[in-house]
Amino acid sequence: MLWSKRVLNAGTAGAVLLCLLCGPGAVSQIASSGPATAAAPPATPSPTPAATGKPPAPEFFVLIDPSHGGDDKGAVLAPKIFEKDLTLSLARLLRKELEERGISARLLRDSDTTISLEHRAELCNQQHEALYIALHAAEPGRGVRVYSSILAAPQPAVGSFLPWESAQSGALARSNAVARSISRELQKRDFKTLELQAFLRPLNNIVAPAIALEMATDRADVKSLLNSKVQSAVAAAVASAVEQNRERLGARR
Amino acid sequence: MIPRHFQIAISFLLLAILIAGIFIIELRHSEEVKTQQGLAAAPEGPEAQGKEETIRVLVAYDDDLALRWRTTQAFMPDERDLRARAALRAVLAQYLQTPSPHPLAKGADIKDVYFLNPDTVIVDTTAQFADGHRSGALLEEMTLTSLIETLNANVSGISKVKFLVEGRERQTLAGHADLVSFYPVSAVHELAREFQ
Repeated sequence: MLWSKRVLNAGTAGAVLLCLLCGPGAVSQIASSGPATAAAPPATPSPTPAATGKPPAPEFFVLIDPSHGGDDKGAVLAPKIFEKDLTLSLARLLRKELEERGISARLLRDSDTTISLEHRAELCNQQHEALYIALHAAEPGRGVRVYSSILAAPQPAVGSFLPWESAQSGALARSNAVARSISRELQKRDFKTLELQAFLRPLNNIVAPAIALEMATDRADVKSLLNSKVQSAVAAAVASAVEQNRERLGARR
Repeated sequence: MIPRHFQIAISFLLLAILIAGIFIIELRHSEEVKTQQGLAAAPEGPEAQGKEETIRVLVAYDDDLALRWRTTQAFMPDERDLRARAALRAVLAQYLQTPSPHPLAKGADIKDVYFLNPDTVIVDTTAQFADGHRSGALLEEMTLTSLIETLNANVSGISKVKFLVEGRERQTLAGHADLVSFYPVSAVHELAREFQ
């Protein structure tokens, strides 16, 4: 079973309602033709093979999204210290921590590549991951902020279509549970945490449980975010929480 | 007879309470002065219409990542769209002053506000509002929450809000916060409570 994006109709005020069509037999079509078939903007470079390539995704895996990348630097934390680089290094550490716990993990990008938010969501929904984790880093504050989605009144599914803007609705309870677990694990390791439901793209567009993490720093203390021990501790906390929720996340299959 | 060391301890305690009280009063006073100064930093625009009112604005404070209600003076027209714009500009004025509790780029302003229907409002911002906004999930959420809650506090009957930038839809404010969706005011209200 795989999700592919289709335009269903035009929504309120010209907003396009993009939907996800669930249907068997679409896997080979999308996997073989790559992201270009998923209505990606022509200028968008291909994402890393880690996200789209073969072999097919394992039964249970976590898709890690190092946010931003390429032309999109994200937050500029200090001269020449960009959010996009920090998220990538944290993503690699998180993948390592998950794999050490026997959990498969893939990165949505493993290089300095530009991928639009819509395209990120498309790729996620094609992959059919058990959990999507977006990574961010920004000022101000300290510790780690853990976000799950806020949904406007979820629109009902139309047949096998899900409304693009509330595709997350079916997974939101599991997203919130994972977010709580991650907060607890971070607190155990003495990280200050803030858990919020927020309007962050592309969480609402993702069918699987989806959360976002933001490592926070004050300008004077940016170097602490670059510290590999700090990043490893964050990655270990997140991986530990995912491990604890493995059954809950796998239950959807 | 109260032992001497108790007397000394209680004296110190009372002194500490007194100092803390003075500090809090001073802090509150300085924030109210800043709120009033915000009027002088109001975005440039057409002559104020309506009568001057004391309105509530929800102001973001980066120092402690909080949103707090403040009162300020603003000229508030009777028409809902103009009233909504005036309220939004009053909160932007807080951010455009120096020092600012939550700095926005110079030129950040509300170009227009219009109602799609009685409960759905579209807020059109200037390019500087989005282009100059600092990137960060929390910072962006704080800005939008502050604006939506201020709108909701000063114009009745709004249930959904959407933001445009120079009349066009944009994916995010500065890389994180959603600008595509219509923000449900009730959900934003819950989010705002988390910040208070």
